[in-house]
Amino acid sequence: MSLNIIVCIKQVPHPEHFSRITLDPIRQTISREGIPAVINPPDLHALEEALRIREEFSGKVTAISMGPPQAKCALEEALAIGADDAVLLCDKSFAGADTLATAYSLACGIKKLGRFGLILCGNETIDSGTGQVGPQLAEFLDIPHVTSVIQIAFEQGSSLIVKQALEEGYMKVRVKLPAMLAVAKGINQPRLPTVWAIMEAGSKEMQIWGASDIGATQDMIGLEGSPTHVTGIFERDTTRRREILEGPPRQIAKKAVNRLHELITT
Amino acid sequence: MDFAPTREQEMLRDMVRAFAESELAPNALSFDEKGEFPFEALKKAAKLGLVGIINSKEYGGSDMGHLARMIMIEEISRVYPPLGFYFQTGQIGMYGLQNFGSDEQKKKYLPPLCQGDTVMAWALTEATGGSDASTLQTTAELVGDEYNVNGRKVFITAGETADVVGFVAKAGDGTNLLLVEKGTPGFTTPRREGRLGLGSIPVSELAFTNCRIPKENLVGQEGRGVRLALAGIGAVGRPGAAAVSLGIAQGAYEVTLRFAKERNLYGKPIVQLQAVQFALVNMNVEIEAARWLCYYTGWLLDQGKSPGEIGSDIARAKLYATDVANKVCLKAAEIMGGYGLIPEYQLVRRLRDALEMLPAAGAQDVQRVIIGGAIAR
Repeated sequence: MSLNIIVCIKQVPHPEHFSRITLDPIRQTISREGIPAVINPPDLHALEEALRIREEFSGKVTAISMGPPQAKCALEEALAIGADDAVLLCDKSFAGADTLATAYSLACGIKKLGRFGLILCGNETIDSGTGQVGPQLAEFLDIPHVTSVIQIAFEQGSSLIVKQALEEGYMKVRVKLPAMLAVAKGINQPRLPTVWAIMEAGSKEMQIWGASDIGATQDMIGLEGSPTHVTGIFERDTTRRREILEGPPRQIAKKAVNRLHELITT
Repeated sequence: MDFAPTREQEMLRDMVRAFAESELAPNALSFDEKGEFPFEALKKAAKLGLVGIINSKEYGGSDMGHLARMIMIEEISRVYPPLGFYFQTGQIGMYGLQNFGSDEQKKKYLPPLCQGDTVMAWALTEATGGSDASTLQTTAELVGDEYNVNGRKVFITAGETADVVGFVAKAGDGTNLLLVEKGTPGFTTPRREGRLGLGSIPVSELAFTNCRIPKENLVGQEGRGVRLALAGIGAVGRPGAAAVSLGIAQGAYEVTLRFAKERNLYGKPIVQLQAVQFALVNMNVEIEAARWLCYYTGWLLDQGKSPGEIGSDIARAKLYATDVANKVCLKAAEIMGGYGLIPEYQLVRRLRDALEMLPAAGAQDVQRVIIGGAIAR
């Protein structure tokens, strides 16, 4: 069995430098200027799983990302880790996209790529953490999807048995290919690129496609195509407050419950 | 002038940093305390292509070059200097084989070395001296098709664990560079040296007693042993030592900066105190200056310059980076106060390692002699 696998990659700020992220009160965005960027760590698990499947069954692994020109670096890294080729969806009109517009753009790019058997994503991104893009992408492509995947096993024919992590335990799900799986951290241990692979990465193909290249409808992409808008962005108040409750134990307990209730509901 | 690292060099740095943080950082202290060299990590590094980074692909190397090697050793030494130091010395031998060895020697020794399946040591120093190689007392007398070797070598990094050792011995009027394999009759490693720093790395004395070595174990031309050994030390050992020092300085600086941001005094983190800030600024500036001296050396070697042509550039990098490593570690100990001298705070081991770098790959004054010779000409 030979399988074409597509891995969705997002470039995110380096988690070690999160403390340097500031809020831009005027543009209502987070400012990542000067902060090193990396591949979204859960996406590394998706890439690793894709490489393991390719090693077992043969086929091709394509990394795809939507982002500004600098997102090229994340794809170069994916190529060094082992992806066969990469596509960057890069266009000013993609800017300001919410998860739905992002998923639509990725779906257009994936349709242009042609036949595929499996799409793998990280379960969520570490900078926004909605976990929505993967499932929305699957809906646009009209294929089944499973999230929080911690194990993938191939059945004969064209279906998979995947293990989906639940809050307390897991569920086994049979999925027909083509499908989209969003993988969770526990699925594998991502590999590091070797020096040989780093040096070969530059000779692998990376295509850069704009909105017109993928036949995207303008009112479905970027800010215009986003049904959700960020209306305000705030820094969380992390100041600790101390209150000392005095009185007999029963009274203190009652006061404490009331006070906690007040804090939760306000 | 192009000061920008290539994309490949950036990715190499990220990869080595991730490797060092996951494979070395969690056990750095216990490696030193138990005196256990991380051979498993060395094997993993080899599979990533780090051990053969300046060896050709034909013999299993990854051939990324000298500047890439400097970055790699810096990043390893930022976390665990003894492994960086192993690269510093182990790769001298691999460079020697690559550049001066016969095809048979390259085919036999380089692939398992690049894969991390075997280890190589490089032995020049004797009890009578290291920097003055002309005082060698180890002899290799040609008897039929074999050399009969007698003598002793000291301070040999990885000597007792090496599967093959490249060493220099007097032969007639000249000197020969020879290879001896572990287990050869008459070749022993009688003593492991106790060391202040580079805790886990085995540093040994080597003894040759009527040790018979086949004639085909001669590396390069007859009579040019010292010259070849010094070329290896110049091109690989000394730049490697500079990169180890740079990594030590960077690691110590980061430990200190983190401490200064967490330690409160007079109601605020001590990093806000100008006296502490100025000390950290000096560290930061000096480390950056050392970094560029080191990278320049690697870049010159990648341009095809011979260690002879750029001897003073190499010496400058080793001299300065090692001075900076020692200065940074000492100042760090002052800033961190009592905590700085508690092993768990990860500064003490770096301070000890920095001291070990003073005589490594040519003492500091030997570097001054080299630079002095060039400027006084």
